[in-house]
Amino acid sequence: MPLSTEPSRVFAIETHGLSKHFGRHTAVDDLTIRVPAGTIAGFIGPNGAGKTTTIRLLLGLVRSDAGSAMVLGYPLAEPERYLPRVGALVEAPAFYPGLSGRTNLEVLARLGGYPGSRVGELLEMVELSDRARDRVGTYSLGMKQRLGLAMALLPDPDLLILDEPANGLDPLGIIGIRELLRRLAAQGKTILLSSHMLGELEQLTDWLIMLNQGKALFCGPARELLAQSVEVVVEAQDAVQLDLAARIADEAGYSVTREDQALRIACPAGFAETLNRLAKEAGAPDLIIRVKEASLEQLFLALVKGDRS
Amino acid sequence: MISVIRAFRSEVLKFRRWSVLAVAGVMLAVSTLIAYLTFHQIASGATGREMTGLIAAFHTPQGLVSIIGQARSLIIAVALVMVTANLAAEWSQGTLRNLLVCEPRRLRWLAGKMLALVLFVLLSMLLTLLISGTFILILAQGQGIQTTAWTSAEGLSVFLAFLGNEVLCLIGVSALGMLIAVLTRSVAAGVGIALAYILVVEGIIAVVLPQVTQWFPGRVFNTIVGTTVPLVGPTPPQGYPAALGAALLWIVGFVVAGAVVFPRQDVTA
Repeated sequence: MPLSTEPSRVFAIETHGLSKHFGRHTAVDDLTIRVPAGTIAGFIGPNGAGKTTTIRLLLGLVRSDAGSAMVLGYPLAEPERYLPRVGALVEAPAFYPGLSGRTNLEVLARLGGYPGSRVGELLEMVELSDRARDRVGTYSLGMKQRLGLAMALLPDPDLLILDEPANGLDPLGIIGIRELLRRLAAQGKTILLSSHMLGELEQLTDWLIMLNQGKALFCGPARELLAQSVEVVVEAQDAVQLDLAARIADEAGYSVTREDQALRIACPAGFAETLNRLAKEAGAPDLIIRVKEASLEQLFLALVKGDRS
Repeated sequence: MISVIRAFRSEVLKFRRWSVLAVAGVMLAVSTLIAYLTFHQIASGATGREMTGLIAAFHTPQGLVSIIGQARSLIIAVALVMVTANLAAEWSQGTLRNLLVCEPRRLRWLAGKMLALVLFVLLSMLLTLLISGTFILILAQGQGIQTTAWTSAEGLSVFLAFLGNEVLCLIGVSALGMLIAVLTRSVAAGVGIALAYILVVEGIIAVVLPQVTQWFPGRVFNTIVGTTVPLVGPTPPQGYPAALGAALLWIVGFVVAGAVVFPRQDVTA
C-alpha cells in the first residue's frame, strides 16, 4: 500500500497494523494509515470496506484485536485522554426522538461538561434555532444530519470525525457543510471525512485514505494520488481493435469503461505508451490514444478493481 | 466523581420524555386503583378466603400498608421494565455511541445513569405509596372508618419498615434490569427476558425445586418485603436475615457482573 512519507508533519491519527475481526469476518486488516494535523482527509472505500469499524476503533467504541494507534498523540487504550478533543458523527445520527433538538444537545453537553451556551451557538450555526424546541422525531433526515453535526462540534474539537455527514442533505445543505468544513480546517482543526460523494471529496480534501476489504489501498496527499493516475481515452473505428485494447488494459488490471467507439481506462500515465506498443504488436495499429487527468471516482474504481483482481 | 455527577445530570434531562413519565403515571394510577378496589371490598363487607387476612388487619397498624401494598407486583414489574428498557434503548437507538464518545469512562457513565434511573424508580414508588395512602386515608375518614391505628407511631413504623424493604427490593430489581440490558443490548429482548424470568421462569423452577428457588433473586427481593407485612407478599422461608443477606449478595453480584462485561463490549449499534 503506498503510504506517503512526510516525516516533518505532525499526525492527528496514526495507526500501525490495526486489525479487527467480528467472528470469522475481518473488518479491518493490518491497517496502517495516518492523517496529518490540520488537514481535511477523505476516507473512502466501498460498502463493507471497514471505514466505519476503523472510525469506531479510533473512538474507543470497539476494541482492536491487533496493532496500535495514536490519536492526537495518545494511544487508543487511553480514549479518555483524547476524546474530549474529538467530535464525531458515526453513521446515521442517533438521537432521542421524544426529546427536542435542544435537549438532545443539552444531554451531551451536560455529560461532556461543555458550557450550556454552546448549545444555542451550535443550533444557530447549523440553522436549527427555529426548530430547536420541536421533538427530533419530527425532524427530516437533513435536519437530523445538521443536528448530528452540531453534536459533533459540541466539544469545539481539534479532530472532527464525520461519517457521511452530507447524507440526506439537499444541494444547499451540502454546499453549507462544505463551507463549514473549510472554515473549520482554516481554524487548524483536523477533519476525517468518510463519504461516498467522491466529487465532493475531490473538491474538499487535501489528504486521502482509500480502503478496501479492511486494507488501505492508498494513504497520502490527494494531489499525489491524482497525479500518479490519469484517464486514458482510446478511440477507434474498428470494434475489433477496440476490443483488443480493452483486453490489454483489463489484463493489466485497470478499470475499463466502454462507450460507443471509445474506451476510458483509469491507469497510471505511463500505461498509455505501453498500451500503444502492445496494441500495435497485437495487430491494432489504428488506435487514437489521449491522456486525460482522472477524476477521484475513476481512480477509486481503478484501485478497487485492481485490488480485487 | 465529577463525571458520575455529569452523567447523572445528563440522564435526568431524559426523564422529560412522555414515555418515561407515562410509565411512572401508570404505576401511580394503577396502584391507586388497586388500593381503592381492595379498600372498597373490605369496606363494603366483602367476604372470601383471600380477604380474611386483609379484613383482620384492617383496623390494625398494618391496615393501610396492607391495602396500598397490594400493587407491589405491579410496581416491581414496572420498575424492572423501566430500567431494562431505558438502558437497553441506548443500544437499540444507537445513542450509546454518542454518549461514550462524550464520556469514554464507561463505568462512570453507567454509574451516573443507574443512579438517576434508580432514584427515578424509587421516587415514583414513594409518590405512588404516598398518593394512594393519602387517597385511602381520605376515603376511610369520609366513610367514618377508624384510622387511628394506621397513623399511630406503630402504624408509621410499619410503613417505614415496609418502605425500607421496598427500596431494597427495587434497587435489587433495578440491578437485575441493568445486567439484563447490558447482556441483551436490545429493548425487545431485554424486556422480554426480564419479564419472562421474573414472572414465569422462577415460578416454574419453584414448582420443581422450591428449596432452591427461595434463594433466587426475584423470590428474595419479594420476600424481604413480606417480612414486614405478610399480607403484601410471601415471607422468606429461610428467615429475614438470611434473605436480606442473599438480596444484598445478588445486588453486588449483578453490579459486579455488569461492571465486568460493559467496559469490554464492542459498541456496534
